[in-house]
Amino acid sequence: MDVSIVIPLYNEEESVDALHREVTVAAEHLGREYELILVDDGSRDRTAEKLRGICERDPRVKVVRFRRNYGQTAALQAGFDQARGDVIITLDGDLQNDPNDFGLLLRHIEEGYDVVSGWRKNRQDKMISRRLPSMAANWLIGKLTGTEIHDNGCTLKAYRLEVVRKASLYAEMHRFLAPMMSLSGCRTKEVVVNHRARQFGKSKYGISRIWKVFLDLLTVKMLLGFITRPALWFGLLSLPFLVGTLLALATSVYVHYVWTPHNDYPLVLPAATILFAFAFAHLIVIGFFAELVVKVGDFKETEAVLATVETGGKES
Amino acid sequence: MRRNRLRGEPDVSVVIPIVERVGDLRQLHNEFAAGLERLGKTFEFIFVVDESQRGCLPVLRELQSLVESEIVIVILGGAFGESAALTIGLERARGEKVLTLASYFQVDPHGLASAFEALDAGADLVAGRRHPRIDSFFNRLQSRLFHSFVGRLTGTRFNDVSCGFKLMKRRVATELNLYGGLHRFIPLLALNRGFSVTEVPLPQRNEDRGTRYYGTGVYLGRLLDILTVFFLTKFTRTPLRFFGLLGTALFALGFFVDLVAVAQRLLMDQGLADRPVLLLGVLLMVLGVQTLSLGLVGEIIIFTHARNVREYQVAEVIRGTSPREAPRPAEARPTVVPPPADQRAAGGAAS
Repeated sequence: MDVSIVIPLYNEEESVDALHREVTVAAEHLGREYELILVDDGSRDRTAEKLRGICERDPRVKVVRFRRNYGQTAALQAGFDQARGDVIITLDGDLQNDPNDFGLLLRHIEEGYDVVSGWRKNRQDKMISRRLPSMAANWLIGKLTGTEIHDNGCTLKAYRLEVVRKASLYAEMHRFLAPMMSLSGCRTKEVVVNHRARQFGKSKYGISRIWKVFLDLLTVKMLLGFITRPALWFGLLSLPFLVGTLLALATSVYVHYVWTPHNDYPLVLPAATILFAFAFAHLIVIGFFAELVVKVGDFKETEAVLATVETGGKES
Repeated sequence: MRRNRLRGEPDVSVVIPIVERVGDLRQLHNEFAAGLERLGKTFEFIFVVDESQRGCLPVLRELQSLVESEIVIVILGGAFGESAALTIGLERARGEKVLTLASYFQVDPHGLASAFEALDAGADLVAGRRHPRIDSFFNRLQSRLFHSFVGRLTGTRFNDVSCGFKLMKRRVATELNLYGGLHRFIPLLALNRGFSVTEVPLPQRNEDRGTRYYGTGVYLGRLLDILTVFFLTKFTRTPLRFFGLLGTALFALGFFVDLVAVAQRLLMDQGLADRPVLLLGVLLMVLGVQTLSLGLVGEIIIFTHARNVREYQVAEVIRGTSPREAPRPAEARPTVVPPPADQRAAGGAAS
């Protein structure tokens, strides 16, 4: 098997037949052996029936149906688990990605890249509700992870199989897949892909997830940089509190012995000292605890993830 | 009746944990057995007796000797609670469908037919709802408050999650992982694992009446159970979403409190040193930092185990077939591969 195409679907009854047609045409055009893995992420409309129909006429299709809606990350993971191709291409089920870009992605993989990520430079979505939050998120992800990927939200991507096998995908981590892989040594490349306006249904994402993305980012930052030495991470987090403690302590000593103006100064500065000192101490302790968790936890697995991805999947 | 004698798999396994309140077990058995017979089902009864309820063993033994159908009595070696008793009973169930009941009359067996109908209509689990309720006003109020709180937190709409009457397919029974106080939330847990759950109104029995008052400890325990379910169903994969949100909210609250206090000191010349509010704000901020950092540790725990645990439950995998391969249209159906019992095994096998 050369290529596995993985497509997560959620309530896409109108587009699924057209999607199958378009993807088949594009994939046949590649001139490789391929399989199409359609993951039905607990759709509540007639997507499942349509998929059954497709299965009856196309032996290259494999359908994975979830019991309920688990989200895009889980759907992609399920697709990866089933995939047999040397290269895995993922795309959205809503026809906004253009299957004709397959060739472009594949060419870059053959040039030696491990991950090729689509960049919807000319994005056909609403400005306020979709594009602005996405731009902000991408900017933040770039800043925090130090990678230069313009479009993390684009599902149209191509991976080498071995890279995908090593990655661990959960929660909503698909958004950070490209920066995570690029940071752990994979050769990543971003290519401009076509993006089309939505023909059917409506978007399943909205503006409400900014805060979640922010918390996820904090996680990603920690996991990427500090998973092998969490005490350092918590130590860094505690630094501002250490500075605060020292400042507040110094000020209260100064006020007490040197300045002594009012009668109601005493509580404020000691209170600040206590605040900072407690937070500082807590973070340090938690840092040691985290070390324990990492050591006792499935660390071999974790190490394997980091180490093998660092070789850029070239070990096989 | 004859068929029950054959030691084949019965249609329905009835599991009755006997832990706290015990009613007339003989009558309970007889009425539900009759109800199941009317529906033409073969059945077995499994009584799981907690250590503390050994007193009802003579009744059960007698029942066992009198009745033709299969009755299994499991005696627990300790007081392990209702979740444990249920789990043990569910493990022993051989029937294709499993019915759990409270160890006293909660609902009338006449409702069995509608429950089986709902199961045949495609539900994986049918939860009984005592309706119309003839309980005391206090009990109904209690139940209303409990369920509106649970519903608000978990985004579900159930009216009687803790009713002992649950009819489920065995697949559901084997996947439920019950411990502590979780037996009260079976419909929520099943829903979370991707099963379809229906609530069916069943007439409440007179025996279930009577006002139940509990001590504060019990209510506190319930509250913790609810929070456990809330956390388990929503945030097990994303601990920082939970702890992070809570932590930042606490921190923001503390910050705001202190900001107001300081502003009042500076602008309105109100004393600050003698106000406990200052300390409250400080403590809230510290608590916020602690909560957030616990969430980070939670993320580390999840990450170190993420590769071994698959988050999703597969309903089925359908492999495409070529229309030419199948000579007759009847055989052109897609092959349906049942999902593996253990998703971890499936994930591991793929790599």
